[in-house]
Amino acid sequence: MSKLAYYRRNWQLYALLVLPLAYFAIFKYGPMYGIVIAFQDFNLFKGVAGSDWVGLDVFREVFGMSSFYKALRNTFLLNLLDLAVSFPAPIVLALLLNELRGKRFKKFAQTTLYLPHFLSWVIIGGIMYQVFATNTGIVNLLLGRLGMAPIPFLTDKYDWLLTYLAVGVWQSAGWGTIIYLAAIAGINKELHEAAAVDGAGRLRRMRSVTLPGIRSTIVVLLVLKIGEIVQIGFDRPYVLGNVSVNDFSEVISTFVYKTGIQTADFSTATAVGLFQAVVGIALLLASNYAAKKIDGHGVV
Amino acid sequence: MGRKAKAKGTIAAAALAGMLLAGCSSSGGDASSGAASQAAGSPAKGEQVTLKVGVFDRGNSPAGYTATDNYWTQYVQEHFGDPNNIKVEFVPIPRTDATDKVNVMMSSGDAPDIVFANTNPLTSYGYAKDGGLMQLGQLIDQYGPNLKTYLGPALERGKFDGVQYAIPGRRVNTGKYENLIRKDWLDKLNLPMPQTTEEVYETLKAFKEKDPGQTGGKAIPLGFSLTAASIEPIVWSFIQDGLTDEQRYTLSENLGYPVLLPGHKEAVQFLNKLYNEGLMSPDFSLDKDEKQLFQDVMTGKVGMYSDNLGNAYNDTPGIAKVLTQNVAGAQLVPVDPYTNNAGKHLKPEYDPTGFYLMIPASSKRGAEAIKYLDWMAQPDVLNTILNGIEGEDYKLVDGLPQRIASEETTKRMYNAGDIAMITQGQDFGSDEKNWEAAAASVPEPFRKDVVDAYKMSMTDTINYANFTTPIEAENKYIPALQDKYNELIVKSIMAKPQDFDKTYDGLMKDYMASGGDAIEKERKEAYKAMAQ
Amino acid sequence: MDTLTKRTARRSGIQAFERVNVCLIALLAILCLAPLLHIASVSLSGSRAILSGEVTLFPVGVNFDAYGKVFQDDSMVRALLLTVLLTAVYTGAAMLLTIFAAYPLSKRLRGRSFFLFVILFTMFFSGGTIPDYLLIRSLHLTNTLGSLILPSLLNPFFLIILVSFLRSLPQGLTEAAAMDGSGHFRTLAKIVLPLSAPALATLSLFYAVGRWNGFMDALMYITNPKLYPIQLKLYQIVANSMTNDPLSMQGDQLVAIMPESIKAASIMFATVPILIVYPWLQKYFISGVMLGSVKE
Repeated sequence: MSKLAYYRRNWQLYALLVLPLAYFAIFKYGPMYGIVIAFQDFNLFKGVAGSDWVGLDVFREVFGMSSFYKALRNTFLLNLLDLAVSFPAPIVLALLLNELRGKRFKKFAQTTLYLPHFLSWVIIGGIMYQVFATNTGIVNLLLGRLGMAPIPFLTDKYDWLLTYLAVGVWQSAGWGTIIYLAAIAGINKELHEAAAVDGAGRLRRMRSVTLPGIRSTIVVLLVLKIGEIVQIGFDRPYVLGNVSVNDFSEVISTFVYKTGIQTADFSTATAVGLFQAVVGIALLLASNYAAKKIDGHGVV
Repeated sequence: MGRKAKAKGTIAAAALAGMLLAGCSSSGGDASSGAASQAAGSPAKGEQVTLKVGVFDRGNSPAGYTATDNYWTQYVQEHFGDPNNIKVEFVPIPRTDATDKVNVMMSSGDAPDIVFANTNPLTSYGYAKDGGLMQLGQLIDQYGPNLKTYLGPALERGKFDGVQYAIPGRRVNTGKYENLIRKDWLDKLNLPMPQTTEEVYETLKAFKEKDPGQTGGKAIPLGFSLTAASIEPIVWSFIQDGLTDEQRYTLSENLGYPVLLPGHKEAVQFLNKLYNEGLMSPDFSLDKDEKQLFQDVMTGKVGMYSDNLGNAYNDTPGIAKVLTQNVAGAQLVPVDPYTNNAGKHLKPEYDPTGFYLMIPASSKRGAEAIKYLDWMAQPDVLNTILNGIEGEDYKLVDGLPQRIASEETTKRMYNAGDIAMITQGQDFGSDEKNWEAAAASVPEPFRKDVVDAYKMSMTDTINYANFTTPIEAENKYIPALQDKYNELIVKSIMAKPQDFDKTYDGLMKDYMASGGDAIEKERKEAYKAMAQ
Repeated sequence: MDTLTKRTARRSGIQAFERVNVCLIALLAILCLAPLLHIASVSLSGSRAILSGEVTLFPVGVNFDAYGKVFQDDSMVRALLLTVLLTAVYTGAAMLLTIFAAYPLSKRLRGRSFFLFVILFTMFFSGGTIPDYLLIRSLHLTNTLGSLILPSLLNPFFLIILVSFLRSLPQGLTEAAAMDGSGHFRTLAKIVLPLSAPALATLSLFYAVGRWNGFMDALMYITNPKLYPIQLKLYQIVANSMTNDPLSMQGDQLVAIMPESIKAASIMFATVPILIVYPWLQKYFISGVMLGSVKE
């Protein structure tokens, strides 16, 4: 097919892309010039155009801060723990939900499991204390009834890690099943039946039919997740963290918030953001490459 | 899913953006061009102009009202706006993010003609330094005679390097904190009112061991939170007697905590002891708004605690009131027990200033803004805004206004204090009268306690030592240092007793390296300059 | 062992698994339900019971005063209606753009890899919020609903989901349509979209929930109280109580502190409408989204 004929036949496809690409050009690529702040001694009232250029000084300063390394370490730590716990949680949950036979119960269970996702972190922060407080928290009252000593869920840094993970799973695992359940629904029914005829039990079928069926979904999400391992949302560590556990709860996003907002040091904040983005892209490409090796094809 | 979408809208990003946007807004190239040209900009007769006035939005407007349209905004329009042919437009400033929001407004040139963020002169100083504020001296001379009279010496504190850049509101009652104790617990145990810090310790121990409130082992002898209201009354009380001026000036900082003064470490060690012996709130490090503390007090678990002056007896949150409803016979009374090495009840006192009002350099309504504040400073206007209409909202008892309990009055007065931005509290002429007035606003059984608390709040007070010229390093480091200080307090208090020294000294080193050193150095230089 | 006992053994094994599974899921469901029940209970309880911590999962001293106050508050009702409108418009516009982008990218299109890269790159790299703000301001979008709609109109992650879904549709249908001389626009509208209803419903909910719960952009771009979305109001109500504000507590300067019950009622008021949307879309969910490689 000649080029001309190709474009004549497919011009409508390109026409459809015009609006989305314009959106990305204006709202996503438009502001990217702002990263130059990282190379400036940025002055609030002078703006980007009027501020002095300082080369890599800001980065030198950032890499010299001990609190930056602590925040970076914690970001990796919390994300790796999340990857180990919060990432598989919706997969397991989806497999279990899939095995439910009662239709009504299944529907009810799904609906309630999605509920926490509808609560914003502001609201969750508001009820954390009542649940996990050392003296009066509901969990510790229950533990007390079982004759156990109270656990300082929020003020001991190791216990806090548990709390952080548990709340994360609670908030997102149910909602996360949506994609896996859809993938499971897409698995050919005949495979299940064949396996059943061969005498494979429920657990066996979960392992050898359902799980492979959603494998590519898992890989895609995993690759994206690894690309984000150096990024971390602000709300969760900020809402759940506190001074007594900041050896673990201080992460890049809260660090940026503190330097950016509280000391109005925008150049530092932007430099850290740039560093994050570059590491993120590198990790994404690496994990994509690995996925290609393992799975035959990557995400992008 | 939508993790991505969520991550985008993080608070950090938003606030950051807010502050930053500045860049573009160099609208005020001739920022400091001075008052004269602004004053000259008064409109010709007959042409209505718009004056934009900032007002706090606390998200608590009663039905039918908003922060920008309510009884008092209408009153202002009717009594000030209409006669002067000025349309007064109120611009909401969310109380929670006031400082960030004002930063956004200032740097993007969207700030109202009268703007304010907090009671810290550093904020105004920062703007003035960058050329963002209008010089006000001449305007006040011309249009503000009542304002000058009302504010008196407080006005001086709005001068930076001799130039009037801000108008500090006045603070009438400068007492800062109150300490409270359950008198019924003392009586039950036949204990006297504690008079020294040592006696406080014995009392707290008795509260824990004998559990006079029959809390079933849940008693919190000393209620504590991670707020200045819990920390300051105790740490200041340990500061040693006989500080020299030099010590006061060079070893304080704008945060208000006496972290470098002799006695601070002993204070924290005292708290460490209380914590490790189970004598204070176990989760105090989470309680950043006193909410948990209030709840513990109201449910009768707390034996002793400190708070912002007047808080315990006020109608809302109604701590003493709810406590007496919950626990029959409970008696929460003020006490002033903490003593330093010389037996004095050392405690901090507020500066006599409130919010720092500013007029952006880009404003065209400098004259009208001062006229508005001047109008408000007239005694009868101020009295009306602070108390409402006589007969409808209050009646005079012994010359002091007593609020009438009615739904309409509650609704009407909900933001009167925010409208009266030039003052914190009303001045009735003397401390005693002001205390009585404060007492008159609480339910009858607590009035004597209120007067006692106010009186105690003013014994052996110490003023923060601040220079007339702001310390540049404070401008830069104070926000980060607030966090460092909290970390110092929390981790030192929660450390095992044998680890206390190590923990405290380590965190102190961190504090000094994070800006403490820089501030001390600059303060020493400033002191040298001042002494000459 | 004869086959019968084997079969019985397996059946009882299955039943045991079933029972354990049901119990486990029920337990998790309760854990997810509890906090909302707690908030609902607080919103219905008397303030004395709330303050003394008696309210856990069931209301104490049931009354509807708090809801009365919330519904009487014009600004709350206005914010709610505004947010409904905003969410509807945003979701519609976002879906349109997502479809526009996903359909071509699900085809073997020349330049496809480049377009995909351009789009996915923005997931990991952005100018930052400051330049974002400057852009919105220079487009004169501050204090308009446009500032809450345009900047987040297309989510690359959702785009990937839709692209994967479209690629999973039987290709024969669209090829047959092309043979019949149907243009791409027509094929998309008449054949592809009707087949994609489940995916479209799911993504609409994703977009809608994101918009409904978002408020940080409003915090930045909106100063006019008449344009506050409901979550911003909620944030002010919930977060205001978190600010320790000695100035508001000066004797005669008293500022009423929002009672807990009203806070809880406001949370319910702001959360229930978006919850209602969900069961309505649920039937599409099972077959809704597919996620796989978007690369051929």
